[in-house]
Amino acid sequence: MATRRPRQGRRTKADREFVSEAEEILEAMRAGVSDLGDRCGANHGSDPELVNRLFRSAHSLKALAGMFRFDPIQDLAHRLEDVLDGLRLDRVALDASLCSLLEEAVATFAALLERVGDADALASFEAPVSQLTQRIAELIAAPRKKDDVLARLDVDPSLLRALTEYEEHRLRENVRRGRHIALVDATFEILAFEEGLSELTAAIREHGELLSTLPAPGEAPESQINFSLLVASDLPAQELGAALDFPKASVRAALTADRAASAPASAAQSAVDEPAREGAAPPEPSALLDHAGELESLRSISDTVRVDIRKLDELMNLVGELVIQRGALGELTARLCESAATARLGGELAKVHKALERKLRDLQSAVLDVRMVPLRQVFEKVARVIRRMRRELGRDVRLELRGADTELDKLIVEALVDPLMHVVRNALDHAIEPPEERRAAGKDPEGCLAIDALQRGNHVVIAVRDDGRGIDTRALRAHAEERGLVQPGEVLSERETLELIFAPGLSTRDSVTETSGRGVGMDVVRSNLAALGGVVDVESTPGRGTAITMTLPITLAIIQSLIVGVGQRRFAIPLSSVLETLIMERSAIQRSEGRELLDLRGEPLLLRHLAREFALEDPEPEKVYVIVLGIGEQRLGLIVERLHGQQDTVIKPIQGPLATLRGIAGATDLGDQEPVLVLDTSAIVDDATRRREVT
Amino acid sequence: MSAPGKDKPWTELARTAALRAEEIAPDEQRQLLAIEVAGGAYALPVECVREIVRLRSTTPIPRAPADVRGVISLRGEIVQVVDLRRRLCAEPSEPTRRSRIVVVQSEDAGVAGLLVDGVREVLRIGQGDLMQPAGGEAGMVSGLCRRGAAFVSIIDLERVLDLHAGS
Repeated sequence: MATRRPRQGRRTKADREFVSEAEEILEAMRAGVSDLGDRCGANHGSDPELVNRLFRSAHSLKALAGMFRFDPIQDLAHRLEDVLDGLRLDRVALDASLCSLLEEAVATFAALLERVGDADALASFEAPVSQLTQRIAELIAAPRKKDDVLARLDVDPSLLRALTEYEEHRLRENVRRGRHIALVDATFEILAFEEGLSELTAAIREHGELLSTLPAPGEAPESQINFSLLVASDLPAQELGAALDFPKASVRAALTADRAASAPASAAQSAVDEPAREGAAPPEPSALLDHAGELESLRSISDTVRVDIRKLDELMNLVGELVIQRGALGELTARLCESAATARLGGELAKVHKALERKLRDLQSAVLDVRMVPLRQVFEKVARVIRRMRRELGRDVRLELRGADTELDKLIVEALVDPLMHVVRNALDHAIEPPEERRAAGKDPEGCLAIDALQRGNHVVIAVRDDGRGIDTRALRAHAEERGLVQPGEVLSERETLELIFAPGLSTRDSVTETSGRGVGMDVVRSNLAALGGVVDVESTPGRGTAITMTLPITLAIIQSLIVGVGQRRFAIPLSSVLETLIMERSAIQRSEGRELLDLRGEPLLLRHLAREFALEDPEPEKVYVIVLGIGEQRLGLIVERLHGQQDTVIKPIQGPLATLRGIAGATDLGDQEPVLVLDTSAIVDDATRRREVT
Repeated sequence: MSAPGKDKPWTELARTAALRAEEIAPDEQRQLLAIEVAGGAYALPVECVREIVRLRSTTPIPRAPADVRGVISLRGEIVQVVDLRRRLCAEPSEPTRRSRIVVVQSEDAGVAGLLVDGVREVLRIGQGDLMQPAGGEAGMVSGLCRRGAAFVSIIDLERVLDLHAGS
């Protein structure tokens, strides 16, 4: 055993990581336990969602402690898991003694965490921890006092015995709340019972909770089947029967609310045997599906599989290749249809091809769906950083997070963490003023940082807004001039000036950027997002605050592209950034200050020739196509020679010595072995609108 | 040492090399893929060669340096192809039936294709057979070895794929 030394100094890096993670979890647990205490005090019964959350916290803590090998914490968390599981299944009662036990457990965790890194101190805690674990074990083992609700039900006992543990729990819960319990008996033709039963259950759900659906014993003719449905409702049985208005069903009261309410709160031991789950094999599972997930105890409720994201990539690639093969098949089919000799066969093949296309699309979206994860995890990380910075910087900042359920491709979420964190840090570091300064400016001393995420079409928009000092465009401009990014006297619009925060030269941290509010490393943010096919915009009002808006595609995997041609070359343009395509005579091009413009319904549209952008041979045909690109707020008309139509494309990275290919996002194989380059529309639009004509 | 047929598959080349390799103590020898570029004999370390494919349609990359011929699709994977003749001798390749793309895996540049005028055989050499380069090869050769009476230049893959270096 090591000798005693100052506690903090002995912590290894792993210890510190563990403690900081564990503290986060503990914080959530503390809040949950106190909520539970409130509910208990108010006699509200437990809230399944709240218990689930607590269970998950205990579970994470256990896993974390296991990972870092902190046995006492792991053991205690494990016990806690048991008791919360029991609470959820109503094996353990929510009462004052449980609440105080939970509080004690949280306090013990906190004490243990404080002593991580100090083996002696941890060892001295062994006795109290094992005592606590023992008490929890006793609580779980103690038979739960149950009132004899079930005995008072006017129902065939064999039917009650067939209830699962969860169903029984729901039944008790409903009786406790004073609802009427009714038994609905219904007879269906065997051949059509699924339909009839689902109609009946739908009708029941409108008026109450369906507790259980069981096949009923009865002397039904061969061709018919009887069901007994146990229903909890606010309506007495008679009214329920009228409300259901179901000719083949009879409704009778199993327990009226009056009796339920006047029944003594605590009565003798339950007269009912342990429910025999196997005994109840409902023939029609869909009626029970609503509960299916809940039937199992929480331990097995996570019927999820952890999958390495690379396996999903493989799957995605396979689907991508299938899509490519499908494209080749489509070409062949079209050729068969063209020739008179094979048109008939071609037509049949076209039908099959169509069906394949539909199924393939379903497969695509199913695979994509697997990859989608909510932004919640990222938001939680951000919240953690803010809490830490709040402590370190002594700033009062309120965090508002909205849209945490917005889903994005896992890879994009991963890649989003750094840019988002950067923007948030900037806001806290530079944008939001210290409380005194805010008070002096007549603002709420507590600053506010709001992050909103929402889905818009195939994109997700994440806006980070602060109510800080805003960007000082004059300081920014002066700084840019100093760096030679802007010439003195050059006229810049307000927007163009703000855009300077993304200029690479301004990315260094110095006093000027400090006072300008933002700008540290924003060029990195922009290029990181561009690598994902995303864009970042800035808006700012001096004294009022700044908003950084990040727009990202939902997925990188399969996208619809427009295939265009210039000379011998083909290029793919992601359809998500195409607003419209026009056909135009070359003579319609107007010129101003060396720029080429098109009058698009009265608005000037900046034009660029793809051939010139890429230094390709340009046959300069009289009729050209204009692809109107929209990236964020910016518009650009890209002139191409040909349109080859739309295709599903799988964008692949280009491997090799050239790491950055400006204007090219990747390449795709359209099924003919010849790769087609995919344009990086945001870079092209960016370059085109930024660049000034020298001519 | 007779050169295998021009179009012998890569696997066969490797097998013959493996058979011959047994004659020498393993820690003393290196295996090299002998290639032909602009009439010269060059070699690449076998361990960085992933596969050898016939020339296929290559999509040029706009605004890319001429040393990069374009990109090819290898079963859906998109890989840049570096013109080795341009890289080593500053003259463009004129693909023939014997031209091949040697797909290599490098430390810094990842997967890349090397366009060569022909693939000859797998050589195995002992450490003692290695010689310092004679110089004047644009710094892309890490050493020399002998193949019969002729010198073979061993290519420094990382340098060849570092497009800022040399030529």
